Amino acid sequence: MTEFRRFQLDNGLKILIHEDSSTPLVAMNLLYMVGSRNEDPDHTGLAHLFEHLMFGGSENIPEFDSPLQLAGGENNAYTNNDLTDYYITIPAENIETAFWLESDRMLGLDLSEKSLEVQKRVVTEEFKQRYLNQPYGDSMLILRPLAYKVHPYRWPTIGMDIKHIEEVSLTEVGNFYNKWYSPDNAILAITGNIKTGEAMKLAEKWFGNIPATKRVQPVFTSEPIQTEARVAEVRRDVPSDLIYKAWHVGKRTDRDFYPLDLMTDVLAGGESGRLYTSLVRDKKLFSDINTYLTGDIDPGLMVVYGKLMNGVDIEHAEKEIMNLLDELLSSAISTYEMEKVKNKFEANSVMANTNIMNKATHLSLFEMIGDAGLINKEIEAYRNVTPGEVISAAQKYLVNSNCSTLYYKSIK
Amino acid sequence: MVPLNRKEQPQLSTVSPGIIPEVEKVVLSNGVNVYLIDAGTEELMKFDFIFEAGQIEEEIPLLSSTVNSMLAEGTKSYTAEELNENLDFYGAVFNNFTEKDAAGISILFLNKHLKKILELCREIIFYPVFPEAELVSLMNKRLQWYYLNQEKVPNLAYEKFFESVFGSVHPYGRKVIASDFNGVTVQMLQDFHTDCYNPSGMTIIVSGKIHQVTISILEDYFGKLPAKRKNKKQYLAPPAEKSRRVTLNKKGAVQSSIRIGSVTIGKRDPDYHGLKILDTILGGYFGSRLMKNIREEKGFTYGINSGVTSYNLAAYKIISTEVGSEYTEKAIGEILNEIKLLQNVPPGKDEMDIVRNFMLGEMVRMFDGPFALAESFRAAWEFGLDNNYYYDLTTKIKTIDPDEIIHLARTYYNIDDLHVIVVGPE
Repeated sequence: MTEFRRFQLDNGLKILIHEDSSTPLVAMNLLYMVGSRNEDPDHTGLAHLFEHLMFGGSENIPEFDSPLQLAGGENNAYTNNDLTDYYITIPAENIETAFWLESDRMLGLDLSEKSLEVQKRVVTEEFKQRYLNQPYGDSMLILRPLAYKVHPYRWPTIGMDIKHIEEVSLTEVGNFYNKWYSPDNAILAITGNIKTGEAMKLAEKWFGNIPATKRVQPVFTSEPIQTEARVAEVRRDVPSDLIYKAWHVGKRTDRDFYPLDLMTDVLAGGESGRLYTSLVRDKKLFSDINTYLTGDIDPGLMVVYGKLMNGVDIEHAEKEIMNLLDELLSSAISTYEMEKVKNKFEANSVMANTNIMNKATHLSLFEMIGDAGLINKEIEAYRNVTPGEVISAAQKYLVNSNCSTLYYKSIK
Repeated sequence: MVPLNRKEQPQLSTVSPGIIPEVEKVVLSNGVNVYLIDAGTEELMKFDFIFEAGQIEEEIPLLSSTVNSMLAEGTKSYTAEELNENLDFYGAVFNNFTEKDAAGISILFLNKHLKKILELCREIIFYPVFPEAELVSLMNKRLQWYYLNQEKVPNLAYEKFFESVFGSVHPYGRKVIASDFNGVTVQMLQDFHTDCYNPSGMTIIVSGKIHQVTISILEDYFGKLPAKRKNKKQYLAPPAEKSRRVTLNKKGAVQSSIRIGSVTIGKRDPDYHGLKILDTILGGYFGSRLMKNIREEKGFTYGINSGVTSYNLAAYKIISTEVGSEYTEKAIGEILNEIKLLQNVPPGKDEMDIVRNFMLGEMVRMFDGPFALAESFRAAWEFGLDNNYYYDLTTKIKTIDPDEIIHLARTYYNIDDLHVIVVGPE
């Protein structure tokens, strides 16, 4: 059980506090409900570029990192399609520095041409490092726009095109900040060696007088239902072929999420998963195969991807994947197999609880999707899934007309 | 109410790792050493089974890592599939590892499964059968991963770096080549296993919420295995290699991987603590000189860092970054400038305070919770060191003065000793 208290300041900031006196540290997670889905299609990558600018100094504090390091703290941040997340761990006695720093960059940023120019270059190098300078690095740049035609999930967080980053102006950056970075669009989670009363007092002191920015919550054009199978093929200088198959599924908050998640584990949870056992170990068609749910706030994807052994025909390999999926649709999952994937989930969730930073991140994420209390309810939600529900979910989504396939072929 | 002063940092307390919990040692009846780290709030434990079975032990490349990877590919009582099924059924997180000096397995699991997990671990460690078919299949997969890694520029740069610094023959430096994947036989695996994976060379580190009964259960599963004395091998340290510049062209690369470094003093050397502090100033944290200059000031890279790593027989320092290829020479020039600056200008008090407190904060994190404690314990124990290593490091962080930094930079960062490796587009 992760016991926590929930509060909300008058300016709308949501606060979650969990006490854990077994650690000398406190973790602070500040989540802003803005990600790459909030971007304009002609200016993608802005949410992530902005995350970089958040470290360039704020209204009253010239530099973010140095004072934190001086307090013995450590921090980082990440951006995805739905959100931007900033996190700190710091020795408990110096926690007030974290409140001071995070609240000041929520209050106002010191944006300059110079830091914008430098961070554009840094992000360009990040783009090269992650997407261009490694084999298969551009897969998501191809798969996303294949699966999504309308919804902003069609571009990756780094942006659709590096030109978008190069062209961003200081005004756009400033507008983005004013629109999204305010207390009524944020969730603050504090976990670790701190008393709830003390954490609340500090939150009120540092965040209490930051004004709310009323905004109209965006409504995203929903992705039209896919009606026929889509296929893309690329040839690149890579050592072996790779196949991706992606099906549209529901939202993270849909009831279907749990059976689907267990289904991905039946297929590829560990080396005993069906795909691995059959296609890697027995038939030796792939060197690696995996599957996952994107778990997004808006309807996401279930993805299967596998690297082929050299000399294996990609269509044959695909057919073998499909055979296993058909088998899943048509025959019962044993009680033993269900028990196995549920046990795995339970163990993982206990393991995640050993770390205060994990707990802070999870509390904020669950609160964003509706209820931080899910942190304690999910084990039961998974436990309650029946084999029939897994099969129904599979039948609902794993339909050929709902699938996008990417053949990523080696030119060798 | 006093108006809020946002200009000034709230009052700070001195950060300190404080008293580090002492690890309890238990010896099983066959002489196996077990170290117990009882901490944490969840009903979980992690077992690390560590052997002198690293790359340093192998006569031909890939032998130690293949033995290690094959441990769970079938045993006397279980097929590979059955082992995987069992490990997954109990929700265990199983890892095998091969390092330069050691190898072993580690497993994280819910306490309620203790007996089953120990039974599986004993099978995996002591009764593997090394089926020929699984060996062929593993080597085919690994060869394919190898070809993939040969396409990764950062990986090529590391390979070149270690070869340049430790030489192409010593296990610390030698590269794997494609034909090595044909060179390992079942007989070799069996011999290596008999030699290196036996109870007399085993150490167990247990961390997590440990109940009293754990020790007697461990005794049941591991205390009765006969321990054969292993002949102590003589290891040779890697030869001294001349510094050089190595350039490798990789067609289609859009960034250059730069690796700069050389051999240096190891963890047992009294200057090591000081060198760690110097390294942190140079490139060991987000606010480091290299990060500030090459990323935050110039935007040449997404990241740059430096580090010092100790092995049993040697140690090295390395600066590592991926830069836009057009910035390669400028970046190298700036890296060397930063080193020269550290050799000539004492760091100011503000910077020293930041580095001191950042490092002390890191030390608090290094002892936070059972698994961090276990990792820190192992990192000292491997070198025959104990908590005093960390107490001395703490003292050094608090007391080192700027002149000592200059002295260390001059002694251990001689520009002429540095190997410079660049892998990038033509």
